[in-house]
Amino acid sequence: MGRFINAQTLILLGCSLFVLYLAGIPLVMLLYGSIRSAPIGEPGAAYTIQNYVKAYFDREFYLLFWNSIKYATGTCLVSFVIGTYLAWVNERTNTPFKKLFMVMALIPFIIPGILSTIAWILLLSPKIGLINLAVKGVLGLESSPFNIYSMGGMIWAEAIHLYPLVFLLMSASFRNMDTSLEEAALTAGSSTFTTLRRVTLPLMRPAMFGVLLVMFVRGIEAFEVPALVGVPAKISVFTTKIFLAIHQFPSDFGLAGAYAVTLLVISGGGVFVYQKMTRKEERFATVTGKGYRPRVIDLGPWKWLTFGTSFLIFLLAVILPVFILLWSSFIPFYGIPSMELLAKLTLANYHYVLTYPLALTAFKNSFYLSVGSATLVMLLTSVIAWITVKSKIPGRIFLDNLAFIPIAMPGIVLGVSLIWVYLTLPIPIYGTIWVLLLAYITKFMPYGIRTASASMIQINKELEEASFTSGGTWFQTFRKIILPLLMPGFVAGWIYISIISLRELSTSILLYSYNSTVLSIMAFDLWEGGQYTYVCALGVLMVLMLVAMAFIARRLGARIGIAE
Amino acid sequence: MAEKNYMVRIQNLEKFFGEDRERVHVLKGVSLDIPEGSLYTFLGPSGCGKTTTLRCVAGLERPDVGSISIAGKTVFSTSERVYIPTNRRPIGMVFQSYAIWPHMTVFENVAYPLTIQHKSKAEIKKRVADVLKIVGLQGLEDRPAPKLSGGQQQRVAFARALVNEPKVMLLDEPLSNLDAKLREQMRFEIKALQRRVNITTIYVTHDQAEALAISDQIAVMHGGTLIEVGNPHQLYSRPKRRFTATFLGLTNLIPGKVVELGGDSRPGRLETSKGIFSFIPAAGLTTGSAAILSIRPEHIEVIKQKPQVTENVLEGTVKEAIFMGDAYHCQIAVGDSVLRVHTHPFLSMNPGDKVYLHLDPQSCNGLPAEDTEGMDESALGA
Repeated sequence: MGRFINAQTLILLGCSLFVLYLAGIPLVMLLYGSIRSAPIGEPGAAYTIQNYVKAYFDREFYLLFWNSIKYATGTCLVSFVIGTYLAWVNERTNTPFKKLFMVMALIPFIIPGILSTIAWILLLSPKIGLINLAVKGVLGLESSPFNIYSMGGMIWAEAIHLYPLVFLLMSASFRNMDTSLEEAALTAGSSTFTTLRRVTLPLMRPAMFGVLLVMFVRGIEAFEVPALVGVPAKISVFTTKIFLAIHQFPSDFGLAGAYAVTLLVISGGGVFVYQKMTRKEERFATVTGKGYRPRVIDLGPWKWLTFGTSFLIFLLAVILPVFILLWSSFIPFYGIPSMELLAKLTLANYHYVLTYPLALTAFKNSFYLSVGSATLVMLLTSVIAWITVKSKIPGRIFLDNLAFIPIAMPGIVLGVSLIWVYLTLPIPIYGTIWVLLLAYITKFMPYGIRTASASMIQINKELEEASFTSGGTWFQTFRKIILPLLMPGFVAGWIYISIISLRELSTSILLYSYNSTVLSIMAFDLWEGGQYTYVCALGVLMVLMLVAMAFIARRLGARIGIAE
Repeated sequence: MAEKNYMVRIQNLEKFFGEDRERVHVLKGVSLDIPEGSLYTFLGPSGCGKTTTLRCVAGLERPDVGSISIAGKTVFSTSERVYIPTNRRPIGMVFQSYAIWPHMTVFENVAYPLTIQHKSKAEIKKRVADVLKIVGLQGLEDRPAPKLSGGQQQRVAFARALVNEPKVMLLDEPLSNLDAKLREQMRFEIKALQRRVNITTIYVTHDQAEALAISDQIAVMHGGTLIEVGNPHQLYSRPKRRFTATFLGLTNLIPGKVVELGGDSRPGRLETSKGIFSFIPAAGLTTGSAAILSIRPEHIEVIKQKPQVTENVLEGTVKEAIFMGDAYHCQIAVGDSVLRVHTHPFLSMNPGDKVYLHLDPQSCNGLPAEDTEGMDESALGA
């Protein structure tokens, strides 16, 4: 009997149940909460559809819906155009310095959303915006030409934050395209433009549609820009509405739940369609997905045009925001750059941030959460990936899908569901750092399972079988063979998850308490308090911390496993 | 007593792959006894079940029915509900890809079976050094695995399989990843290595030349069943089944009917559309039963003048002759069919030449005709 209870069974079963718990319970509790008449624990709570009635029969709901769609569509289109253009310039043209642009294009990736939002407020605010003041001064205008506190301003700030993802995805599909298909069209006598229209674009259409869908979902679940810009501008979207429903007094958990379910249905639908599409495409890609050498188009003198536009994007997306953040972090009070202020540069903001009563707690919490969630997610998903890729255990496909569910859950929705979960279940972690850890693990599990499965597929099955035939147990094999071979993917996933968990705001903001404050919450609070220069100093420290962590992870990963 | 002499016993193995309607019956009741100390080969075309059988012995696949014992100990049995997992079977295995772990050095790879048992450092060092000497890799201990050539990787794989002194060594097409020259050389090395260590070895291959060169015993498999077991010599020159005759080397097949069985060093007689032939009947043939005559191209003698004897002689025309260096490979038209014949390189052969063929009766094997397995291009139309 005893031989059935061994390390392998325990680990596999434990991890599977944990995934079921992480991904399944919040969903169930969210639906449950949205049909309860009163907050949990209160006497007299009953089943009701009142929350939905209240949500859907409010005229404001349709305005909200319309705003969210406008915001998501706008974000999606603007980020798509910028990202695709840069990807095309980089992959398919002979634009000068394109490699430099490629590295630079990814910088916004590492800047937390709350910081890039703040940077754009400081640049485009009608009163204090640097760009506005500069343009006004140069053109002698009376009023400010740009206003961040508008739908257009919000879309711009969000799109600049999101385009690196478009850039990465589109670069990959430009790279993976078999250029002999284009060459065949050229040799058949069609012109460059006709080839682009008749061959290149149709070939890329599925990839483009997929990217648009992803960006739409990203837009609809975005929180930072709607919270920092949309709330003062009185432009509400789903995420901010949910946030306000909980942050008002008394909190309306039921209404928040009803809105959250609506948001979940929209983003879940998008993710579902995207999944179906890419599954088909991946199957296609395995047949032809070899590294083609992309055909580089010689632009002639036009290359200076692409150079100019790329530089302009780079200036807007990277140089200006980074400059304004750095500048603001070193000045004693907020003001536009001037010689007078330059003389007063100071480290006081950094000193203030580091001695802020909660700073030490926030730094510690963020560090622990970031390292802890990245490590646990990658360990957990490595085991899950082994089950789904290598084993023949029944139900493995279900497990794979289950681990992927949270990607369809916007951060704010996850926050609402976890409130319900830990106010209902007798697990006393509500308001502690543990609930944040569980939230992060849930939220980032899909990224982990992606990287881990992709790496797991690369490992030849015979490498692990050789360990079994050498007398290795499952646990020994996993620890000494699988994990080291998985290390490049493990480290890449770890770095990515530690970055995104350090800047996580939308889930944390519903779940934190005084003792479990994290850096992004602290930045949010400082901003709400109008302490702009302190926020910027904090932001610079966060980015430095991220860079240091990524660097150390790379070094460690190379020591444990094979360097890539 | 008989039990003792067999290192591996496989009984009535059944295995299905896939589920429901896509279920494939890959092993259909395979039983084999592998003598201690022998180099035993599973030979057959891809999909015949040879690798699956080997993986069942290793425990990497779980049969649906049957039993397997290694060194007298049952490691798998459906009736006794026994399944010993791979890591507790006394085996060492060399994989087709060699499966050398790229994150370890040669030493770490070879030492792995010992380190996971927490043996002492000194013992590990000594045993690894010993086994590296056996495979001829001494001095390469610290080399990272990705920096090894194909041949070296294979030696590391052998060393790793041997270091724990297993009862059985399992080799899954170990030569298929090497280039032709190296493959040829490694055949001799594997054979010599197996003799030196004197370890029971199961060798899986689809390459009949490799199987003939290396094996003590060959089990010919096809379509999930065992066709025939024998030593290389028996299987090549005196096959009992038509599949064996066609899969091992080239052969000519002429269908006919047994007129006389013969016996006591007297050959039998077979009636065919090309006349009556003297032949050696396989077990199971009876007078009057349909049979197939199989004769290999090198056992047909080509004579340019009409010979004195008329028994087992055919008249034909050279259709095509290819010079191969050590022989001419000819196609010779006899009536409406074509025979493959290999002749001495000194005998010049030109298309259109009239020749006489003598089919040596001792090399004419009569095989049961109802055996329809392995109808392939070497089968001959009537």
